[in-house]
Amino acid sequence: MAGFLKVLFRNLMQGPSTDPFPLGETFTPQRLRGKVHINPNLCMGCGVCRNSCTAGAIDIRQLEDGTGFKITVWKNACCLCASCRHYCPMGAITIDNNWHSAHAAEEKYDKVEQQIIRYEPCSHCGSLMRPLPLERVKALYANDDSLDPKLLRTLCPKCRQIEDAKRNSCKLPGAPGKSASANDDAATPASAAPTA
Amino acid sequence: MSDILLAVVHMCIFPGGVFALAVGMLFKGIDRRVEARLQRRVGPPLVQPWLDVAKLLTKETLIPRTACKSAFLLAPVVGFTGMAVCAAFIPVPGVFQGLFNMGDLLVLFYLLPIPAIAMMLGGSASSSPFGAVGFSREMLMMLAYETPLLMVLLAVAMLVGKSVGTGAEFSLLNVVGWQLENGSIGFNPVMIPAFVAYLMFLPGTLGVAPFDIPEAETEIIEGPLLEYGGPLLALFQIGTALKSFVVLGLGVALFFPGTIGDFWLFNLVWFCLKCLLLMLLAVTFVKSATARFRIEQAFRFYVTVPTVLALISLVLVWAM
Amino acid sequence: MSMDTWLKKMSVRSPWLFRINAGSCNGCDVELATTACIPRYDVERLGCKYCGSPRHADIVLITGPLTARVRDRVLTVWNEIPEPKVTVAVGICPISGGVFREGYSIEGPIDRYIPVDVNVPGCPPRPQAILEGVVLARSIWLKKLGLEG
Repeated sequence: MAGFLKVLFRNLMQGPSTDPFPLGETFTPQRLRGKVHINPNLCMGCGVCRNSCTAGAIDIRQLEDGTGFKITVWKNACCLCASCRHYCPMGAITIDNNWHSAHAAEEKYDKVEQQIIRYEPCSHCGSLMRPLPLERVKALYANDDSLDPKLLRTLCPKCRQIEDAKRNSCKLPGAPGKSASANDDAATPASAAPTA
Repeated sequence: MSDILLAVVHMCIFPGGVFALAVGMLFKGIDRRVEARLQRRVGPPLVQPWLDVAKLLTKETLIPRTACKSAFLLAPVVGFTGMAVCAAFIPVPGVFQGLFNMGDLLVLFYLLPIPAIAMMLGGSASSSPFGAVGFSREMLMMLAYETPLLMVLLAVAMLVGKSVGTGAEFSLLNVVGWQLENGSIGFNPVMIPAFVAYLMFLPGTLGVAPFDIPEAETEIIEGPLLEYGGPLLALFQIGTALKSFVVLGLGVALFFPGTIGDFWLFNLVWFCLKCLLLMLLAVTFVKSATARFRIEQAFRFYVTVPTVLALISLVLVWAM
Repeated sequence: MSMDTWLKKMSVRSPWLFRINAGSCNGCDVELATTACIPRYDVERLGCKYCGSPRHADIVLITGPLTARVRDRVLTVWNEIPEPKVTVAVGICPISGGVFREGYSIEGPIDRYIPVDVNVPGCPPRPQAILEGVVLARSIWLKKLGLEG
């Protein structure tokens, strides 16, 4: 009896603890998962996000004319599990803390995060390909100064193989002017080619 | 002829009808607001009960196909009019003496259950199984809380009657008049158990937690009120507001009818303040801190604690 | 301003909420209970009240992807609600099917059967987002009454 009277009295003294939200400002935790964003400079269209998406909210499809691809996240199906962000190899997906998601039903299909990503022509053969972001290429080939990341990223996989073959042909075991000490490097061209 | 006209004025404007409604609605708003504060919330604006009624008036009325249409439509009207008439009997000390000589405790005792009966009528007419469950619960609650009420009324009547020498004085006018001369009954140590019993009777009759068993919205989805919507529900709400004015006013008239000064406005405000205090004490504090009883717990509570308390007062008054 | 217009203007300040669980996982229901019961998100400030009977409801909050078993019951209850009513789909399940989309027992999304007015996506949405949805539903209710919010 006295217990609940004490609680009531304390409540009365302390005043309301209500968040003033619809009438005023509210707080937002920094790491709250609100809306998905895709960075069009980083996305390669590999489809890992689509495969890992719990709710099937991500769609990746080629453009009709073949000049690029379109990646779409439907926010009305996104369950904010963040597995796309977790699995994206390029780190292209971010989730901000904007939770203002209520909208009229007519805008149901407008609530999408959509990026159209265009292919670029290969600097050698001109066929369309998605170039890797420069930062990523630099990180990939950081241990080999003889490679030019700027050139490599503008090459399509086929041309890159050819480039690789040209560069490594002098190092092959039977090649002229080749010393026996280069045997250690002999493994590298074989493994370097498939990385393209 | 003029008597009848005066009676109609008293029933429709003061203290029944408009005045009782205004006070009842204000009390309801204050009740919700204070309850929110006690739970560390902000709560709705004070005019919220009016807004609710305004909203309900704009909604459409749906009548179940299987319902008994006439009884279904009549029930809220009966509850509302019963309480509007009842409010006219409530004396506001120093302002209004109650309707003629009809202001009788026994009449009030018979009029008070009308909203509960109207609710039972509506619930059973709605042909909903939840309405039927609500009907039986309302009936049981009524049986439970009417007993202490009757004993409290008897104790008051006997106290005043013994003093003036008539045995038992059932006229509310005389009860209030006697108290204005000889001091309030509520300060009489013999009557304190009866006053406590009356405080316990209030939440039961007003149907608030922990005794909102007949209209439990979570278990029997508001029971008798389930099928009501729109203007009919608004009538029920108005009836409840009037009822809160009636029972609180009755409590003040029975136990603390003191006046301050001779000016009517002060007395009116003083009366309302006492009603408000009674409501905060017996309804709001209890409601904001308790959960709902089961029906048999509530029944057992009413037939033991308040009944015994009222009986103690009755016996003490009789033995004095 | 006529009496009728005034009454309608006042009426939207008293939206009574009613919950329909159309096969939800209860995540959104917990958030709805949060908005009702926890002092921090006091929904009664807006005049809202969670009512037990569909006959008293003004704003219907539907959660869940509308499973095959519950479909007819949801439609029955929804039809019991008197006009004007505003339907709010809470969570991604009623809006798109969410993680249950294209499941064998899922009849949703809910707008195949019920005209939805407001969507509050999230899994579950924040209580603040639900409050935002209720405020939006209120302006849509005004529009339904023939007045602009």
